[in-house]
Amino acid sequence: MQDYKDIIAEILIDEKTLQERIKALGDQISQDYHAQDLLLICILRGGLVFMVDLMRHITVPHALDCMALTSYGVGARASTGNIRMSLDLQTNIENKNVLLVEDIVDSGFTLFHVLEMLQTRRPKSLKVCALLDKEERREISVPIHYRGFSIPNKFVFGYGLDLDEYYRNLPFVAVVDLEKYKPPSA
Amino acid sequence: MQDYQDFIEDVLVDDQKIERRVAELGAQINRDYAGEELLIVCLLRGGLTFTADLTRYLTIPHTLDCMSLSSYGMGHYASSGNVRVNLDLMTNIEGLNVLLVEDIVDSGRTLAHVLQMLRTREPKSLKVCVLLDKKYRREVPVEVDYVGFDVPDKYVFGYGIDIDEHYRHLRFIASADLQKYKKSDKADQ
Repeated sequence: MQDYKDIIAEILIDEKTLQERIKALGDQISQDYHAQDLLLICILRGGLVFMVDLMRHITVPHALDCMALTSYGVGARASTGNIRMSLDLQTNIENKNVLLVEDIVDSGFTLFHVLEMLQTRRPKSLKVCALLDKEERREISVPIHYRGFSIPNKFVFGYGLDLDEYYRNLPFVAVVDLEKYKPPSA
Repeated sequence: MQDYQDFIEDVLVDDQKIERRVAELGAQINRDYAGEELLIVCLLRGGLTFTADLTRYLTIPHTLDCMSLSSYGMGHYASSGNVRVNLDLMTNIEGLNVLLVEDIVDSGRTLAHVLQMLRTREPKSLKVCVLLDKKYRREVPVEVDYVGFDVPDKYVFGYGIDIDEHYRHLRFIASADLQKYKKSDKADQ
């Protein structure tokens, strides 16, 4: 595996900026759900690091659950098609305040389908918190109630986001230099 | 939901101690796997916080995967029974160095079953890293390679560990006074 320093084009969001913004999001969520109970849903695996840092700043009573999703189909059909829940929620969300926590939203298809599916379970409220929003890539309209950062349409990694499964643990979000990056041979 | 201050008994491990120890474990893992690659397997949901923090200290190349497990059977049978996999690994672990990351080990039954199951897939190595070890509760022998802290046989919460799904976000690990803790009427599990 290459050292991340060899493949970085630029650091898009540094550690301090990330952590300050996450605290602000946590404060905002705590205000908005004041005196209410909240269920946070972590979308695996990209949302894991963001979730752990975010929930430390949430002061209202909250529970945590996880979902894992995969796409049906391959190639051109993959991104617009239905999604498969590889891990469903343990919690019955009927009449609960639910906040989906995502690392990044680009086309919006996955998020759109998850929201549609979860709405059928009649939660009391259903909102979305996304750390990164790649708006330029949006192909279907989805609500984002809490947005960490709007980012340009570049290939990003770090802070939960992987490059071929590596580099999720970096404390910042960076842009890959695709000239220099060599994917690991399988 | 009750404020945790209404039922907290002791802070068993404060946030600074946790941070230092997690950094030490990370450094140890970096040394032990120097020149190798590693797959970190997070056991949901208790292991989430520990995994996120531990991996921040890893400098060796590593990937991350998650597993979700539950027990078959209820009550008396629950802890001795087999383990059901709700979410299996995306990664084929054959020939890989695998490190399971868990929040806590007590009886060791779940862990023993998972290890047995994963060994059938012939990983290159298979080790275990737990934040908390409740040794006095052990019922089956299970080898734990990295331990954060030994804890007494008390009802613990915080730092990823819940009571009725709450309090996972606390930065420290505490024991609960169950006389004072009132089960939430909203809890549905």
